[in-house]
Amino acid sequence: MTALIRFRLAGFLRTGRALAPVLAGLLTLAVLYGGGRAQPAEAYGVSAVVLFPVLAWQTKILLDVEPDVQRRLALATVGPTREWVAGLLAAAVAGLGLVTAALVFPWLVGGVTGPVVPGDRSIPAGLALGLWGHLIALPPALALGALASRVITRSAGYGVAVLTLGVVGVLVIGRTDSVAPWLAPPVMPAARALAGAISGPTALALTGWALAWAAVALTGYARARHRRP
Amino acid sequence: MWLEDVWLRYRRRGPWVLRGTTVHLAPGEAVVVLGRNGVGKSTLLQLAAGVLRPTRGRVADRPAVVGWVSERFPADQPFTVGGYLVASARVAGLSRGEADRAVGRWVDRLGLGPFHAVRLSQLSKGTAQKVGLAQALLRPPGLLVLDEPWEGLDADARELVPQVVGEVLADGGSVLVSDHRGETARLPGARGWTVADGTVVERAPSGAGAVAVVELEVPVPQVADTVARLRAEGHHILRVRGHTDPAAATRPETGPPFEVAR
Repeated sequence: MTALIRFRLAGFLRTGRALAPVLAGLLTLAVLYGGGRAQPAEAYGVSAVVLFPVLAWQTKILLDVEPDVQRRLALATVGPTREWVAGLLAAAVAGLGLVTAALVFPWLVGGVTGPVVPGDRSIPAGLALGLWGHLIALPPALALGALASRVITRSAGYGVAVLTLGVVGVLVIGRTDSVAPWLAPPVMPAARALAGAISGPTALALTGWALAWAAVALTGYARARHRRP
Repeated sequence: MWLEDVWLRYRRRGPWVLRGTTVHLAPGEAVVVLGRNGVGKSTLLQLAAGVLRPTRGRVADRPAVVGWVSERFPADQPFTVGGYLVASARVAGLSRGEADRAVGRWVDRLGLGPFHAVRLSQLSKGTAQKVGLAQALLRPPGLLVLDEPWEGLDADARELVPQVVGEVLADGGSVLVSDHRGETARLPGARGWTVADGTVVERAPSGAGAVAVVELEVPVPQVADTVARLRAEGHHILRVRGHTDPAAATRPETGPPFEVAR
């Protein structure tokens, strides 16, 4: 399976299409951190929100870049489950690359600062919270990107529609006064939590929520793949 | 390998492409799948290869290593011939060294040497088809599925397909080939399945070259003697299996511990 993950990452990175999400990610981060200096945890919370669509889009591109017949060749070689799991893991590795860039970027451009007033978090604490904020956004983004991929939606139009509706859903349903917040992954609630004093139980609950949402969405993807090799 | 009462449609409430198909493919056996365009030949092949799952019914006892040569090779990929084949061998589970050796062997065999560093997207159709063939053979397949393998190949390469098929059969593998151009004559002794109206009909093999598989039961102490005697008489032993074989135990008609042909 490692060989298939590597093969897919190589296929993704060698085509120019890998550039689009990376540039989009850097551009959003540049806009985000252009305003001035912020406390890391709070800034990272917002960064995770704006990167969520980029991560989902990158997943869709990575899965779509491989020709349909090549995907089926891999399926005949390694079997159906390992084939789709390998695709998601390749997307996860690419996503982790983008997350790393998002964590490092603000320090390079001076978008964040260390503790200024007493009571501000230390830099390692801010970094750890930022990493957590991005990592809980990654699985739902992978799931959304997978559901929007060509193998499921079968046409470019539907693919973009799924991606857009998913992202808009995350933003709208994630608002404070939402009636059914659990319909979307907790990207917005996590950003709000990171802006304040986040407690251990809250972090745990948000992590569970993100993983549960991703698990449900990925179960749907796995089931849909039965009929869509 | 068996396809047992296999039904397939591509969409819910779509038309059935295959209806209640039951076919058996024994080790060491080649089958040519015939039929008009769009009748479901590729569908049947992809079911056998494990690319498609039956909507109803099941595919049983598929060999662990399956080589599938698709109708068209997906050449729109950012790899060189050598890089692609090594990566395919690694995906198939070969180690780095094994992959390099297997790729070297098949690149030589199929005359792909001059194209080793050429990008897939720059290959001619026939050369790309050879890469597709090599990719399926890097790990000796227990089941080789060839979808129109002669398509686009030049005269020399056409002769290679029956050779390769013969080698897979000699190693106890099964081969499934689709063909709509009458190249089948190159595979003497192959069984024929005709796909029409969603069903698969066995076409009786004809001619002196036709072979059949005879399964017979022999008491365990006499196995060695019987095998030696049958070989001496010019028969081809496909495989010897014990009563403990769980797959055999579930099918009374194939219970016997011996399969002998030719």
